[in-house]
Amino acid sequence: MPSWQDFEPFIVSGLALGGVYALSGVGMVVLYQATGVVYLAFGAVGAMGALIAWSLINAGAPGWVGWLVCVAFGALLTLGYGMVFGPLLAKRDPLVKAVATLGLTLVLFGLMDLLWTTSGGQSRAITLPTDNGGFMISQIQVDWTQVISLVLGIAITVVTGVFLHYTKLGAAMRAMANDREITATLGVPVRRVEAAAWLGCGVLAGVAGILLADLVALDATTLTFLVISSLAAALIARLRSITITFLAAILIGLVHDLLTPIPSLTNYRDATPFVLAAIALLVLSRGGGRVLVRSREEA
Amino acid sequence: MIEVSGLTVRFGGVTSLDGMSVTFESGTCGLIGPNGAGKTTFFNVLSGFVRPTAGTVRAFGEDLLSLVHFRRARWGVRRTFQTEQAIEDLSVYDNVAMIHEHARLGSASRRQDVLGAISFVGLDVDPSARVATLAAGQRRLVEVARAVVGRPKLVLLDEPAAGLPDQETEHLSEVIRRIPEQTGALTILVDHDMSLVSACCETTAVLDFGKLIASGPTAEVLRDERVILAYLGTAEVA
Amino acid sequence: MAAPGGGTVADTAVRTAGARQRSPLPRPGTGTLVRATVIVALLLFTLFALPQLMSLYYVDSMTQAAIWAMAALGLGVLVGRVGLVSLGQVAVLAIGAWVAARLLFATTQPYPLVLLEAGLITMLLGTLIGLPALRLRGLYLALITLMLAGAITVVLATANFPNGGHGFLGYNGALINIPPIRRPSMASSDPAYFRYAVVVAALMFLLVFAHIRTRPGRAWAAVRQSESAALAAGINTWLYKLWAFALASFITGVAGGVLAGADHYLYSLDFPTYYSIMLLAVVLMGGAYSLWGAVIAGLLWALLPSILQDWGVSADWLTILFGIGVLQVLTTAPRGLADQVPKDLARLGRLLRGLVRKRAPSESGEVTAR
Repeated sequence: MPSWQDFEPFIVSGLALGGVYALSGVGMVVLYQATGVVYLAFGAVGAMGALIAWSLINAGAPGWVGWLVCVAFGALLTLGYGMVFGPLLAKRDPLVKAVATLGLTLVLFGLMDLLWTTSGGQSRAITLPTDNGGFMISQIQVDWTQVISLVLGIAITVVTGVFLHYTKLGAAMRAMANDREITATLGVPVRRVEAAAWLGCGVLAGVAGILLADLVALDATTLTFLVISSLAAALIARLRSITITFLAAILIGLVHDLLTPIPSLTNYRDATPFVLAAIALLVLSRGGGRVLVRSREEA
Repeated sequence: MIEVSGLTVRFGGVTSLDGMSVTFESGTCGLIGPNGAGKTTFFNVLSGFVRPTAGTVRAFGEDLLSLVHFRRARWGVRRTFQTEQAIEDLSVYDNVAMIHEHARLGSASRRQDVLGAISFVGLDVDPSARVATLAAGQRRLVEVARAVVGRPKLVLLDEPAAGLPDQETEHLSEVIRRIPEQTGALTILVDHDMSLVSACCETTAVLDFGKLIASGPTAEVLRDERVILAYLGTAEVA
Repeated sequence: MAAPGGGTVADTAVRTAGARQRSPLPRPGTGTLVRATVIVALLLFTLFALPQLMSLYYVDSMTQAAIWAMAALGLGVLVGRVGLVSLGQVAVLAIGAWVAARLLFATTQPYPLVLLEAGLITMLLGTLIGLPALRLRGLYLALITLMLAGAITVVLATANFPNGGHGFLGYNGALINIPPIRRPSMASSDPAYFRYAVVVAALMFLLVFAHIRTRPGRAWAAVRQSESAALAAGINTWLYKLWAFALASFITGVAGGVLAGADHYLYSLDFPTYYSIMLLAVVLMGGAYSLWGAVIAGLLWALLPSILQDWGVSADWLTILFGIGVLQVLTTAPRGLADQVPKDLARLGRLLRGLVRKRAPSESGEVTAR
């Protein structure tokens, strides 16, 4: 069993990762509440944005241009997808909507491998200026990127909470989560609210893409499937509470990284989000025993 | 005879049924009430999809609620749903035979029972025809055939006439009226079409806000002040 | 009035005059016979003529097509027949391959026995895992299959595939000369193994066909339409869903076994998580409901990339195509190509038949029951 010192650096990295998972998870939860779509393409969108940023930076553009383009790409692609396929699939089951985003994931995945081949052993990396410089907390090295990741995670969660409860747009999103049709009859501009949700989620996808590319690796496959960790957090929160999403995300990030120094478990640490999400889903199913048929028919 | 006693369904702050107590004696009984009164919830309790918070249901002397939902069909509960549930990909014959099969009534009499049910409802189509090829009214008849095949004890019809033109409603009305004498089953009919209810049901119970507000001979119930008051303001006036 | 529970509606039929006892079940009409002949002819052609016409490169691809057609068949049963989406079938395939490889190294059992055991063990594991998962529905069921598959993939990456070593895992990391996974003695050459794979696939298709035409198939149709109506009809929906899981796992397990012999060497990299998503894509595109759809899916998976590679086109275009395919199928033709094309052909067929014969348009020509 490793010593406390061996664990320390992983607490920091775990928190940082958890922060990014949190802001991703919150984005996915809000989008689900507003549209009924579980945005499984979240990771792929961020990954492609990060690769585009890398290409620009590699071609000489200043760093901030690259990151801005990444976020903009995430926002526009997500908004575009939402505006086209949202209405087309609006009446369908959440399962169908989620599988459709898997279609988008495949398209992006293929594009990324086509345009940024991984053959030839060339590995790419994104470095942010905040990687250099940091500080020490009782002998643990903390760099600014990690701080930003955690802080952003907290900030996004708080801001989104405030937004949902204290603004008109936020209240509209919450109303739509309850019943889309009734909300529409109340005069809420449903399409516009959805567009806002898609846009917001897309922005977060871009931000997460850059951060994860820095914290983990700039690799299409890795980044695309890191969405599972954020999804796991969202599922633990039953796709409802953003506070629980945040806490679950931090937990997932921590558990994953804290398993690294344990020799017998380190090879299995990538299973963390899968296992936690599976447990969350199974525990979820216990609660709904009373009503088998949630009938929308007249009672 | 179906004895409902103190049936309450409370879920998530909503009380769909509130101490409902009523006895359905025999034959065809109507169950009416404005939208949201609890009629479909009541059917869902009988089908086993909703576990009541309190109350009992005794059907022909047995505790119906103690049976798991899919075992109730074997016991003799049959049900139609508000939205069409005849299975499109299967033939008319298979649709009806399936009920017979899963009610464990034995394969010896199956063909006879199934064809009998199909002709009982007056469905004049090739039994091997896929339900997807049938019109809405014919699909309704398939569902009714599913409800009467075999040895049903309790037949629950949930708005069988919804959306049907007058002529088909007439035909359906005739079929429903013949169910008790042919099968001996107790039939409960939920519908908003008051003329259908009057034609088919000797007795009727009325729900409003999950509570029973009237029950008795249909003609009297439909004239009852409280019933008319419950419907007032909605479009469901006979 | 009759006593409660007494008297069936059949009594009415008996009393009314002219209740004929003719079977309403479709007797094999000309349509079915033609279809069966076509299938047998196609099968014979595939087994005997095809290998001669193709280069070894394509024979290899067609063997893979047969394997993945089986995997698609399993997923098709779940998605098309019962309405359950599994995002973890490739993990099941990997388990089947693992079990088969282990048995092939550790024992000298004949191939068919190994395949059967791989199928059964995979079925057992798949059912055990399916048990808790089946409490979930729709989206959550799909997601938990993804999660469980992901976890299995991670475990497999660490445990590795058997390579002739000893111990339970049968993996020896220090082995320099790894023995290839053996093939059946009578089918060791590539063309012969291709025929072997096709025969196994045909048997799996037959197994599914038998299910569809009997009680489970009808119950699945009911569950897919509406679970509550199925329950009200007396169907133990949980049991039939489990049955579907078991069947899909068995078939996929057998497919994994055939894959082990086809590839000779197995690596966990061969079964990435996103393959399960791609498998769903080709199943949707081919048509989850129809058995032909599984064949199309297998060809899309294995033959198309080979053709593209032969022409120097990157396989990434296929990934993109599959993604677009998913979006297209979900938004327009929910039953996929296999349903659309036969529908058009059927319309054409009816037109031709109407011109040729002057009989009534009824397909099976059965008497109505009156």
